[in-house]
Amino acid sequence: MNPRWRSIGWVGALTVVIVALTFATLSHHSQPTNAERSLDLAEQFACPVCEGQSVAQSDSAAAVAIRAEIATRIDQGQTNAQITDYLIGRFNESISLKPRATGVVGLVWITPVVAFITAVAGLVVVFRRWHLADVAEASDADRVLVERARAKLAAKARP
Amino acid sequence: MNGPAADAAPVRRRRLAPLVAIPVAVVMLLLVILLATRDPAGERLAKSPLVGKQAPPVEGVTLKNEQFTLDRVRGEWVVVNFFGSWCTPCIQEHPELVTFQDAHRSARDATVVSVAFSDSPTNVRQFFEKRGGDWPVLSANTNSIAVGYGVIKVPETFLVSPSGVVVAKLIGGVTAGRLDALIDKYTAPAATTPVTTTR
Amino acid sequence: MNTTIGYTAVLVGFVASLMGIGTIGYALRSAARVSSPVLSMPYMRIGRRYAWVTLAMAVLIFAIMERALITRDFTSAYVAQVGSSKTRPFFNFTSLWSSLEGSIILWTLILCGYVAVIARKFRNRITDPMFAWALLVLFVVTAFFFFLMTGPTNPFKTFDPPPGFDGPGPNPILQNHILVAFHPPMLYLGYVGFTVPFAFAFAALITGRVGEGWLLETRRWTLFAWGFLSLGILLGAWWSYEVLGWGGYWAWDPVENASFLPWLTGTAYLHSVMVQERRGMLRVWNLSLVCATFSLTILGTFLTRSGVVVSVHAFSNSTIGPILLTFFGVIVALTIGLVAWRGDALRAPGRIDSPLSREGAFLANNVFFAAFAFVVLLGTVFPLIIEALQDRRIFVGRPYFDRMTMPIGLVLLFLMAIAPVLPWRKASTELLSQRLFWPAWSAAGALVLSIVIGARGFAPVLAFGLGGFAAGAAARQIVLATRRQGWRGLVGRTNGGMVVHLGVVVIAVALAASSSYTHQQELILPQGQTATVGGHTVTFVSMSTVEEKDKTVTRAQIAIDGGKVYEPALSNFPGFGQPIGTPSVRTSWKDDVYLQIAAPPEADGEPIGLRVIVRPLIVWLWIGGIIMALGTLLAAFPGRRRIPTMPTSARVYEEVRDGDVAAAVV
Repeated sequence: MNPRWRSIGWVGALTVVIVALTFATLSHHSQPTNAERSLDLAEQFACPVCEGQSVAQSDSAAAVAIRAEIATRIDQGQTNAQITDYLIGRFNESISLKPRATGVVGLVWITPVVAFITAVAGLVVVFRRWHLADVAEASDADRVLVERARAKLAAKARP
Repeated sequence: MNGPAADAAPVRRRRLAPLVAIPVAVVMLLLVILLATRDPAGERLAKSPLVGKQAPPVEGVTLKNEQFTLDRVRGEWVVVNFFGSWCTPCIQEHPELVTFQDAHRSARDATVVSVAFSDSPTNVRQFFEKRGGDWPVLSANTNSIAVGYGVIKVPETFLVSPSGVVVAKLIGGVTAGRLDALIDKYTAPAATTPVTTTR
Repeated sequence: MNTTIGYTAVLVGFVASLMGIGTIGYALRSAARVSSPVLSMPYMRIGRRYAWVTLAMAVLIFAIMERALITRDFTSAYVAQVGSSKTRPFFNFTSLWSSLEGSIILWTLILCGYVAVIARKFRNRITDPMFAWALLVLFVVTAFFFFLMTGPTNPFKTFDPPPGFDGPGPNPILQNHILVAFHPPMLYLGYVGFTVPFAFAFAALITGRVGEGWLLETRRWTLFAWGFLSLGILLGAWWSYEVLGWGGYWAWDPVENASFLPWLTGTAYLHSVMVQERRGMLRVWNLSLVCATFSLTILGTFLTRSGVVVSVHAFSNSTIGPILLTFFGVIVALTIGLVAWRGDALRAPGRIDSPLSREGAFLANNVFFAAFAFVVLLGTVFPLIIEALQDRRIFVGRPYFDRMTMPIGLVLLFLMAIAPVLPWRKASTELLSQRLFWPAWSAAGALVLSIVIGARGFAPVLAFGLGGFAAGAAARQIVLATRRQGWRGLVGRTNGGMVVHLGVVVIAVALAASSSYTHQQELILPQGQTATVGGHTVTFVSMSTVEEKDKTVTRAQIAIDGGKVYEPALSNFPGFGQPIGTPSVRTSWKDDVYLQIAAPPEADGEPIGLRVIVRPLIVWLWIGGIIMALGTLLAAFPGRRRIPTMPTSARVYEEVRDGDVAAAVV
């Protein structure tokens, strides 16, 4: 394809992508209905009797009661933070499936980010070093090696 | 014939592998130690955050069609008992509650309040008609109350002091003797630390 | 009688695997003593034969246990635990792996099968020390599992049944659906399959011979193991969603995570090994990934069976925990030690010329998959860490995993798009702009299409766009290949891989859609009434109750969109208190309407508590899985033999002439 057409095509594609993404983001009505909020919140709490299921998934009596309570409080107009605080205050921290972002528990959020940044930084450093090595001068050790190799070749050439 | 086979000293490569391997090994070791020292999941108990705090509200219409709130019995020890008519340990502990209530009836210093959890008013009424018990019983719209107390399974019982503070949470069936012992313990001025106990 | 034969077989198998270790060990040792590069043939031949003995024993154990189950032989303690006269015969057969001891039987059977195949396949090279080491490692693992059966998880304990005794049968959840016959065996075929590349990697580390292509010879093996594991995980998701009513297809449950971890490192390995084949690089990465994959399968087995994590999947507690953990610790210690010792000598002399190259993309791929695995592992064990440090109990659940893994998933989608078009050695932007042109328009098209359909919100729409990008790149590759080679353009490693990528894109799109646009509601619906949820109407028509041989089933008849009637049910098994719910799902190309009885009506004429979930694009998860399976088969098909003299490692000439670049060869 003619490079010029290709450039135009690329500009066009990128424009469409950016416009579409912007449109999707801005026109997103983050106003979920009460029912949707209820579901979202219920997914954030662990059913206290079950093994590892969320309140949204389980049908045990405690889970049903908690779901009903969440729904009532949402209808009363409480915020997610208020409802979360209330439930943790009554059941204790093990009811929340989302670990806190502060304190020792906050490590679970930070550690992967830190580890990842370290890994990427490591990669950058390694690539940088390789690139520099390609354009670097020969080191003394290299000169020694070359000399020895030449000497060997010369010795071989002599009959 | 020619020079020695290899007289050149090998160029030293950086020992990178151990540098990476050691931290990984340390982390793995910690992981293994961590996993080795855990108790099986089922044996871990959760503590109630309500103990030592003001008792959450218990409000509703009793079986006798009267309005009930905790304030009405302020000044007495209150045994807030969450139960279900279908639950075997609840059936087993019920006579103990009756005994307890009878013992304290004349002194009027303690009362039981039953809150049915995940149950229908009809079943609860039948339960009390069959097994006796003359104290406020809430059976309808009790979910809020149960969640307010962090009830996980029935039976769970909360002992509330005359000033309205939750003094103890008992998981599993209770006995009159246990309740009395706790009341004695926390009536004496020396005892100030509340406790969560299980059976 | 059954138990006696069975236990004898266990002992024979254990001794046979020990003899295998001994024979091969002796052969290796005597060769080392005389510095011979070749092992003694007679000893190796004998050593090889033990593989058949262990296989025979494993088959016998399996057959005996099945016979005991099918005949309801309650003198066996295991049968008394999981068998029942009321269970239907098919589920009696599958109840073998419904509990801990039986699952070890299945594992051992598959393992011995694989070892025997390896022993046969490489029979012409048994005097090579490298192969001997690999077989030795395989025998060690076999010996471990036979050891488990001799004592800690002995399935042949006897029991004295009182007269009229009838066992409880397997957990009712495991009696509801035929998937119980496929999901665990598939998973095990996957897990156990990774033992083989691990054995060869271990052998390569010990002998120091990494550059010879042994890992590549077992590549197809790894591909099959990976394929089975992928299929097993997807089947588990399908079962969880469609049959068990756990309210979704993936809950980031610790046991699910345990199965996912080896898949992640295994996928990274499958890709990264291509760099080793082409350029001889990333060798230490590959060795580490293979060893990590196998170690993670053992760790996963430990997590599932030890009871340290809270999970719906977990088997009951037992003493097997410490033993599995020790095995895991030993494997990890040995492999880390070997890599630390040998690693530098094994590193390739070559370098990655440029980050913008296929090698660079695969290296980035490794890093991101490793990050993914790290996040999942951290989240799974973090509650244990907190409990150890602060004596508190916390949960790390879906909100954490979803949020942390989503960015990684998006980056992986992006890599999936650009890696197939990146050339080896070095790429120029000119080349990329040429090759990515149509995929970019495919991304734009996907974005526009999704917005037109109604999708909103940055993350899901971005996922759709990246999916379109990756699909475009994969499709481009397939089209080019088929144009060049006809039908052969569909088979072979690269092209099969592109088909697998397409499957992954379909799954990614379905995941994004179903996690962002689900509608759920809990209704109290009186009889005859209709309600609307997420664009569909549900009507409560009637109830029915049926007494079956082993359970009582209560069904609700619900009409969806005024049309066909669906029947979610509640089954009551006597002896298993809580009723088991069975959801009913109406599947269409567009979305699933998922019905579950939350609370049955208390009496006739009373309203029903019904949970209705409308999830878009779920069926495409399973279709994507089928495409992945198809792609795996295509990838396993032998492609054109690579010509050794092809100039892949030729020097890169970087001459820029008037905007036209003579770039690296493909």
